[in-house]
Amino acid sequence: MAAATDIQTVNIIVNGIELAVPKGELVVEAVKRLGLEIPIFCYHPRLKPVGMCRMCLVETGMKNPQDGTIRMMPKPAAACTLPVSEGLVINTESDALKKDRKGVLEFLLINHPLDCPICDRGGECPLQNNTLFYGPATSRFIEQKRHNVKAYPLSDYVTLDLERCIQCARCIRFTEEISGDSQLAFRFRGNKTHPITFNETKFTSKFSGNVIEICPVGALTNRKYRFRARPWDLQTSEAVCLNCSNGCNIWFDHRAGKVVRINARTNEAINEEWTCDKGKFGHDYYNDEKRLETPFARTGDELQKADYATVYAKLLEAFHGDNTGMILGDSLSNETYITAQNFFTGQLGSHNIDYRFSANQAKGASTVDNSIASLELAKTTLVFGTHLADDLPIVFLRVRKGWFNQGTQVILATDRSDEVSEFAAHTLVYKPGTEATIAKAFAGQVSVADAAAKCGISEPELQAAITAAAGATVITTTSLNHEAAEVLKALDGNFNAYPTGANERGAQLALACDGLSALEQLKKAANGELSALWVVGVDLFSVGLPREEVIRALENVDFLAVQDSRRTETFYYASVALPMTLPAEQDGSYTNCEGTTQQMKAIIPPVGQAKPAWRVFEELSIRVNPRMPFSQASEILASAPAFA
Amino acid sequence: MAILDKIVKPMIAGLGITSKRLGHSRPTVMYPEDKREQFPRTRWRHVLTRHDDGLEKCIGCSLCAGACPARCIYVDAGENTEENRLSPGERHAVRYEINMLRCIFCGYCQDACPTGAIVLRKDFELANYDREEFIFTKEMLLEPALSERSK
Ligand code: SF4
Ligand code: SF4
Ligand code: SF4
Ligand code: FES
Repeated sequence: MAAATDIQTVNIIVNGIELAVPKGELVVEAVKRLGLEIPIFCYHPRLKPVGMCRMCLVETGMKNPQDGTIRMMPKPAAACTLPVSEGLVINTESDALKKDRKGVLEFLLINHPLDCPICDRGGECPLQNNTLFYGPATSRFIEQKRHNVKAYPLSDYVTLDLERCIQCARCIRFTEEISGDSQLAFRFRGNKTHPITFNETKFTSKFSGNVIEICPVGALTNRKYRFRARPWDLQTSEAVCLNCSNGCNIWFDHRAGKVVRINARTNEAINEEWTCDKGKFGHDYYNDEKRLETPFARTGDELQKADYATVYAKLLEAFHGDNTGMILGDSLSNETYITAQNFFTGQLGSHNIDYRFSANQAKGASTVDNSIASLELAKTTLVFGTHLADDLPIVFLRVRKGWFNQGTQVILATDRSDEVSEFAAHTLVYKPGTEATIAKAFAGQVSVADAAAKCGISEPELQAAITAAAGATVITTTSLNHEAAEVLKALDGNFNAYPTGANERGAQLALACDGLSALEQLKKAANGELSALWVVGVDLFSVGLPREEVIRALENVDFLAVQDSRRTETFYYASVALPMTLPAEQDGSYTNCEGTTQQMKAIIPPVGQAKPAWRVFEELSIRVNPRMPFSQASEILASAPAFA
Repeated sequence: MAILDKIVKPMIAGLGITSKRLGHSRPTVMYPEDKREQFPRTRWRHVLTRHDDGLEKCIGCSLCAGACPARCIYVDAGENTEENRLSPGERHAVRYEINMLRCIFCGYCQDACPTGAIVLRKDFELANYDREEFIFTKEMLLEPALSERSK
């Protein structure tokens, strides 16, 4: 870490106040140190400045170091492209500037439709705000306004309104600098200039939702949120996205108990201010019409509505001893894992409680050396056996940021080229199933020539990548072939096998995993060797196992308990079923891939009679062994040493 | 004499006033058979108005709901399509509800409305027996189209 004294500062004068700021800082940022705000449109702290909108005009001058006189420049300058230098004088307020800002806004509004009442940005629109504070009250433009395409579906998620665009290029710069897919660009000139995908193809970026949030007007809007509410209709709460293991911080916007929109919430250590599309647009399951609302019990061929007491009695009758098993999903709360383990092993005496469906999720390889934020500082990164933009989107953004800003050398080894190959120094595309061999080649355990032949890579390419990868920070996932993982872990550099399930990390920490794994339980169930199986928060038909195997397992187990938030396919095989709340309907904590435990509070009311899974385990557990149960989620976490 | 001065004279004077008033017009109306004409700018029950071509003026923008100090307006919007066009432009109200129990008849919604869709008019007979009946829905608030009005 650089000591504070290493930072070079320069002395500047802002509105008559002397100030020392880091050399090279942009004026627009420097004035924030005094609590001042310069109005902006195109400037974004995480994008390179372009100076396109001229909203940020300030008066500048120079202080003569000899006699201390100040000479002001005759014309204003853009604060977002001007770095501070010794003796710089800035004025952010003056009559001339007021006039300039009015002028800039008047020009912007000439071609702006001002259809705020039907614009999804209305109420939280920077153009509205700046016009209110700095703009003219009326318009002098009486001519016909420019007309252009409205409500153009850029993709399944993003709508483009060309009349509202103010040509700030934030969206374009995002795709070039942050997500790296460079799908957007300006076309045409003059007042016809507008952003669009090349050839008007679909905007398929995996991070497209972010451009909606950084667009300073309502030109790019959310198709899923379109016309569903206005900002003042919404209640918003802090939440964590649980659609993958990165644990992005989000704003959960809800109206009348229903989620309507997800926005990114800034957390510098994790997602900065971004989200991926899976998270931003993937929270429909809260409003799923197949939500499970009551307990069910089977009589004969039919699943019928039942009450908790009946189902509890049946469960306690069916489950005891090592002949029974519990399979948990990998996105449940830490509290669920802790209470499930205590109840199932402690009270019911079965060790078969597990979340692992693949043989590769072996515990030994689940080391994580790097926090997400520290990845951008790595000198060399080896991305192995994972498609980062899909599996760990925020890790992908960090790795790319490291390459973009510090020139991290990235080496990719996967079974097909993907977004990472766009900037990787070396891309090795190996034949599927040869992970272990190529990993051994990196460790020098097999000869490069043999490995190259076996994996279908040219020898010099492989040799170059191996040389470059010396001491690299390895990034992979827990589902990597365990042999390959062991070899890579033993290499010199840091090793990170990030879990991909939303709270797989929490499951790793909370569950003992000393019985049959989830996969083994299903195999045993298929052979009729398991008397009862309890499935919590996972649809067995969507974990990537062959359908027939799953069906055989579900049909051959005597008693199947399903605890889930919706009527999944597994539900229809159940002997009894219990409704479960989703993360935003309950208090709980979740541990992301780097090991940060984050809290979620109950935001919306649970549907029907759904209960948090941990409460069900506690209620059952006091029936077996009367004691003081946990009444709050926070008590449970505090009781578990693994999360201390 | 005292009796004449103190009692009879005032009685006669009083009857005089009464008989003078008998000639005036009568302010009491026989409600509900008769109803008093309301002032032109009276603010009572809301009406959602239409354009002359029958399209709804309301565009479902929720500005009225935002302006309402009693928070008694609920608007759900939807998109106009070629087959289902309720208002000019892109957007219309799917659900529009006013909770009349909460409404304080301030008229801020009318002020806020960018299209002049919601107006408070002269119908003051809002009493009812059932709380649920005080939720005025879009169907209740919307004025009939011109073509239907003449019928
Ligand atoms: S972008 Fe802003 S100013 Fe433009 S119509 Fe939408 S809300 Fe109004
Ligand atoms: S669409 Fe929005 S972000 Fe993109 S250039 Fe136009 S105003 Fe800027
Ligand atoms: S009545 Fe007016 S203000 Fe209210 S939603 Fe309709 S158009 Fe908007
Ligand atoms: S913010 Fe400086 S020119 Fe746009």
